[in-house]
Amino acid sequence: MSKEQTTKEILQEKLAGKRTPLYSQATLKKLALEFDRWKNSCVREQDRQNWWVTPHTILGSEVPRELLYTPLSNADFDYMKDAGFSGEEPFTRGIHSNMYRGRVFTMRQIFGAGSPEYVNKRMKSLLAHGATGTNWALDLATVQMFDSDEPEALGQVATVGVPIDCVEDMEVICKDVPIDKVSNSIITHFPRNTAIIFPMFLVMAERRGVPWDKLPGSVQNDFIMESLVRSAVEYIPPKDDFRVQCDNIEFIRKNVPQWNFVTLNGYNLREWGTSGVTEMAVALANAIDTLKVMEKRGHDVDWVGERLAFFWAPANDFFEEVARLRAVRRLWYKIMKYRFGCKSTRSMWMRCHVQTSGVSLTREEPMNNVVRAAYQALAAVLGGAQSLHVDSYDEAYSVPSEEASILSLRTQQIIEAETQVTQVVDPLGGSFYIENLTNEMEKRILDELDEIERRGGLAETVASGWLHNRVSRFVEKEQRQIASGEIKVVGRNTYRATDLKMPEVWVHEYDEEVAKEMKDKLTRLRQRRDNEKASNALAALVQACKKGDNVMQYTLECARADCTKGEMRRAFVEAFGLWKSPIYVS
Amino acid sequence: MADKKKIRVLLAQFPLESHNRGLITVAGMLRDAGMEVILMGNARSENIVGTALQEAVDVVGISTYCGGELAQGKELMSLAEKKGIKDRTVFILGGIYPPSDEPKLKQIGFSAVFPPSSSKEDIVSGIQCAIATKS
Repeated sequence: MSKEQTTKEILQEKLAGKRTPLYSQATLKKLALEFDRWKNSCVREQDRQNWWVTPHTILGSEVPRELLYTPLSNADFDYMKDAGFSGEEPFTRGIHSNMYRGRVFTMRQIFGAGSPEYVNKRMKSLLAHGATGTNWALDLATVQMFDSDEPEALGQVATVGVPIDCVEDMEVICKDVPIDKVSNSIITHFPRNTAIIFPMFLVMAERRGVPWDKLPGSVQNDFIMESLVRSAVEYIPPKDDFRVQCDNIEFIRKNVPQWNFVTLNGYNLREWGTSGVTEMAVALANAIDTLKVMEKRGHDVDWVGERLAFFWAPANDFFEEVARLRAVRRLWYKIMKYRFGCKSTRSMWMRCHVQTSGVSLTREEPMNNVVRAAYQALAAVLGGAQSLHVDSYDEAYSVPSEEASILSLRTQQIIEAETQVTQVVDPLGGSFYIENLTNEMEKRILDELDEIERRGGLAETVASGWLHNRVSRFVEKEQRQIASGEIKVVGRNTYRATDLKMPEVWVHEYDEEVAKEMKDKLTRLRQRRDNEKASNALAALVQACKKGDNVMQYTLECARADCTKGEMRRAFVEAFGLWKSPIYVS
Repeated sequence: MADKKKIRVLLAQFPLESHNRGLITVAGMLRDAGMEVILMGNARSENIVGTALQEAVDVVGISTYCGGELAQGKELMSLAEKKGIKDRTVFILGGIYPPSDEPKLKQIGFSAVFPPSSSKEDIVSGIQCAIATKS
């Protein structure tokens, strides 16, 4: 049996060419002498002994740092190969030549806790205030694909997002919203959820007479979210889940050409509990395995690659976060160009949305979180992110208040309008430290990607529980580091106030009326629709899952027949069976 | 200490909760403190009560992030009462909930509630106190 080469092996082989170092050997030799002289005469003994320091931070990767970086730290630095110019290969310095001078990062704040009617009003008000895109959160029942009237949904309907049971709800949410002009980001999280909810959006468009090729927007559709990160009462086997992700991508690419069909999500994995290195390695592994499936199905890699987008979480280690974004941009370019042989420049762009870290926020002295989020947002901007969401300071209490959400938006606006950091492209590029750290992060991400590939690819490392164990170990270790004070958290274990007063925080009240209305709506729907047509559509979905046909063609027919999300969820479970998450086998 | 019976804890969350970092973290803390932990994960209230009964646990811990804890908590407590385990079992809850819900959660039967940032010591001593008060 011939062994398939890993991405790392392919890149090592194809990038083995000659380098053109910026610094000459003679210059470096002279510098090395000067450096030794300085280190031995000017630097204190204890600093020489502790030349390398390992930073311990929340969600950090613990990459050791030197006291001072010089050209010697990156002696074979090849400017054109390692950094280049913005908008050109290898895209380290940014995917566009003019970056934020051309277009400022999109300020995309999530919204949407309330009934479909309320969310429709909120959306129209946001649009009237100049928003160009929307980002709707779904309630937990919708995320987990339970109908609003199933017992599991008790207390959850419209609590953290909008409930969507069927096409009718989609019609209410989008009433009078120009869906062919406004870019709608629907946070569908999982492949199955995308297969269930997105067709409801398409059928709504169909009923309004809006052609699908006019619809701009995005869905999440990430199997890592469903099989690995999410906690749930029901899972389908990871390999089937991964197939649904690929089916969705294929269907949406063919039929809704302006739609972003996947957001390769590192964010939630990292927030669940892992380093920035693992976050990126896993998302890249997902992208690579997806592209391999698309190639097998006979599609051109560029056809899919041009619309891939990533989602990252920056945490507290400021320079590591900047370096990481630069590193993954360069690595993604190498993968697309040399692993997949892409021709289109757009396919080589690592486009990303970034959301600041929620896990790094504290309940103690919540206003400190404003400062944490601002530094994280600044790191994302200095790293060249395309789109940004800043977490609110009150997230350790409740769904963010309106006031806290506005402060998050203002944080972005202050970075954009007042600090002037957006005027110069990749302002930290060329720093001895940043270039060295960029190399180090790229190397570590590629090494972890290699480990995943050697273990049989992403779906296999999820199915075997290897990734679950990795996260569990990380979380437990981090907790011990916080308890011991090795990881410093201001206001909690460091500079802790003795007279801690709880602040007044806004509380999101649960509205039982919405749940009742949603239940009544479902009862009316089941009376009104053609139930035979609905059950036939569901039976066809079960068969398609079993036969290997593209599932979205069938969930679309279910949506047309006014099937509910819970009915479709059960069809998937009937076809694929249940899987037990390895987290809970103990 | 060696002959003292280990405290048995069932850790679970309501069916739709999609975050489990807290659950994993607390499981690690309690195991470090010498307790026996059954990590159940997401479950319907009747299954939580059923497992608590079957495994004869001393403590049922619920992790919550996304709201709904009052409605689901009430259901859990009424089932626990029906099955006769409410009086002899300590119920605790932790995670993200509005501070104003704390008295309501205690009123429906949670002996202790733990916000984010609670330390291992807070949780362990909270459990020990609650057990002492119950028996």
